[in-house]
Amino acid sequence: MRSAVQSRDEGVASFRTRLFTAIMVIVATLTALGFYLAQRKVTADAERNLQENFQAEISSLHKLEELRHAALAERCKVLAAKPRIHAAMEDNAIDLLYPSAKDELRDLMEGDEPPPEEATQSLHAKFYRFLDNTGAVIRPPNPYDVGELDAKTEAQLALSRLPDTQQIGYIRGNAETGSATIDEVIAVPIFSSYTGEVISALVIGFKPLELEEKNAEVGLRSGVWVNGQLHLPSLRKAAQASLNEKIASVVKNSDREQDSFRVNVDSAPQLLFYKQLNPGSLFPAAYEICVYPLAYSMAELHRLRWQIGGAGVLLLLGGFVASHVVALRFSAPVKKLALDSEENREQRQRAEAALASTAQELERSTRYSADASHQLKSPVTVVRVGLEALLKREGFKPQVYEELSALLHQTHRLTGVIDDLLLLSRMDAGHLRIASTPVNLSELVDQWLDDLSALPDSPDVKIEKEFTAGLFVAGEKRYTSLIVQNLLENARKYNRPGGLIRVSAHSNGRNVVLSIGNTGPTIPPDENIFERFHHRSTPSAASGHGIGLNLARELARLHGGDLCLLRSENDWTEFEVRFPAADGVNAVA
Amino acid sequence: MRLRGLLWFNAVFFIMPVAPFASVVVEGRVELPKSHSAPVQAKRYEIVTKGGVLSTQPPLAVVYLEGAFPRPVSSATKEVAQKDLTFVPALLPIQVGTRVAFPNLDDTYHNIFSYSPAKRFDLGRYRPEERPIPTQAFDKPGLVTLRCDIHEHMRGLILVLKSQYFVMTDMDGHFRLSGLPAGHYTLKAWIDSRTTLEKPVELKDGQTLHVDFP
Repeated sequence: MRSAVQSRDEGVASFRTRLFTAIMVIVATLTALGFYLAQRKVTADAERNLQENFQAEISSLHKLEELRHAALAERCKVLAAKPRIHAAMEDNAIDLLYPSAKDELRDLMEGDEPPPEEATQSLHAKFYRFLDNTGAVIRPPNPYDVGELDAKTEAQLALSRLPDTQQIGYIRGNAETGSATIDEVIAVPIFSSYTGEVISALVIGFKPLELEEKNAEVGLRSGVWVNGQLHLPSLRKAAQASLNEKIASVVKNSDREQDSFRVNVDSAPQLLFYKQLNPGSLFPAAYEICVYPLAYSMAELHRLRWQIGGAGVLLLLGGFVASHVVALRFSAPVKKLALDSEENREQRQRAEAALASTAQELERSTRYSADASHQLKSPVTVVRVGLEALLKREGFKPQVYEELSALLHQTHRLTGVIDDLLLLSRMDAGHLRIASTPVNLSELVDQWLDDLSALPDSPDVKIEKEFTAGLFVAGEKRYTSLIVQNLLENARKYNRPGGLIRVSAHSNGRNVVLSIGNTGPTIPPDENIFERFHHRSTPSAASGHGIGLNLARELARLHGGDLCLLRSENDWTEFEVRFPAADGVNAVA
Repeated sequence: MRLRGLLWFNAVFFIMPVAPFASVVVEGRVELPKSHSAPVQAKRYEIVTKGGVLSTQPPLAVVYLEGAFPRPVSSATKEVAQKDLTFVPALLPIQVGTRVAFPNLDDTYHNIFSYSPAKRFDLGRYRPEERPIPTQAFDKPGLVTLRCDIHEHMRGLILVLKSQYFVMTDMDGHFRLSGLPAGHYTLKAWIDSRTTLEKPVELKDGQTLHVDFP
């Protein structure tokens, strides 16, 4: 019993463990998935935010530049249309070109450089040059007037051919002096007033617009990459050099005008954006470069990781608790089920054991009855034989003979009881089988009525018979006879002097019904007369051993019929016994 | 009408002083480029550029005798006025050394200048009432392109010639040069800034030579 409880508890515990494991797995999977998705989202968001930020900055910068370019273009167009400049070009007076331009461009070149906040509105030029019809720079007679440039810088102003439209370019100025700057140049074509062809170009250099200072706060650093050289003054030279190569290879292998990629600057991850500043220009392609440290977004990512991790742990804890609760709730009925089934099993085992012992006892008692009957029969026979021998002896007083005769009668009764018990025990053990043959009930009843009247102590009773001859029943004669004998003896025994016994029988085709009634004291309705070893409460001179009716009913049932008390009232007690009719023998009454 | 009369007046005015010294006459016709617009009597002449070539519109030619001739003792001052934002006349042939006045007949400023190799000058901005009237002497032969710094579309031409024997054709290209000295010369016809046709001529006293270009 103890091991059963233990195993049941173990089963419940293992169920709980499995449930908890399943919940853990689900929670862990969800957390991992959440991690993964969140990380991806954060990274993508961060990059997109940066991109958008950068795009917004670039586009605002570009708008400003466009405005300035438009203003410059207008200005340059007016300049390029100036009759003196045209005259210098067209009337073969190149020597007058720069002197004329000096007058015309005076407002662009003169004055101090404006403060940075006004740079966007200013058209202050740093230098200007004219290109000849091959695109080469026309050297100015007096560089001081047109903005001094070193030879290398000036060479960058030349174009492979004269442009038809305004061109934007970026050059690295004064690279030799070490204080390198990036200058934005605008080349405006000059059309001949004679031919309409481009005869020259005016190239004007400006200080480029720069991304606003506020970007410095978030660490955005911007510069220009042109002609294979990165100009990003806020970076160290070594970092610039390594970035430079990277940008060069990316730009070379990509035909996109803008893109972004990750780089390491000073072993810190950065996001680098680039966007071409002058797509389609005759000047070398120049790119706006923005380097944004990912530290901020990394920190953001880190924070989010913690949050998600925390959430995952909470989820796991919740899952732990939930799994416990659920396991308990689930395991309660399982436990109950286990208990119930345990109880059921025990009950069944008990019942089976009881049944087995009952059967054993029954068998034992049956065998005991049978054994007892057999064991009793022999001494009874010895006693009877002895009594009979004594009766045949002479010389006793007559009183002794009477007593011997009474004893002998008792031995006969004892033999009858023993036989009945033997029969009952055989029936109880289920050993008794009816070997069914047609039995002439009419004849049997007649014989027993004759025997009854021949009995010495038969009281003065009248016998009425209401049955036809030749009523056959299906049965075994000795047992059928036993039923009839029992009923008739009872009818005689419990009769009153001067009473009546009526025996009637009829066949309804399937059954033959025999009724035996007698006058005499009635049986109270609450008396179970068919009980074994039952004795009538009514005191009577002739009392039986109490198994007759029981035996008769058992035998009737064994025949496939039944025995019942039909009525017992008003000095009349009537039993009815039903036998199955023998096939095709009886005529229907 | 008045303008056209002025042109003719100029032509005659130039030729008249030299007529007593010579008796040779050359006349003929220059095949002028076809004008896209039909010639209108009252239409004024202006300088047009087409394919980088300056010419008058409607087309006119200047026919002159090439050669070094003694300068006239006194040369009168010629005039190129600015009227209605154009130069009048649009094309003026003069002999080297001639002074040309540039009166402003408009109500606005003009700034006449030239970057041409034959004559560089810049008169600066001046109003109609500017006195004395800005004048320039042209000492080198060649074509001088007149421009206005204020009105960039304004163009005028002064054809500075060594010779004093020149004449402008009429609109049909007819010309007549008289009073020419006898001798071997080259007769040239300036049609536009790029095209000057020439033919050798043998001039004999009292002769009237007929020359057609081309």
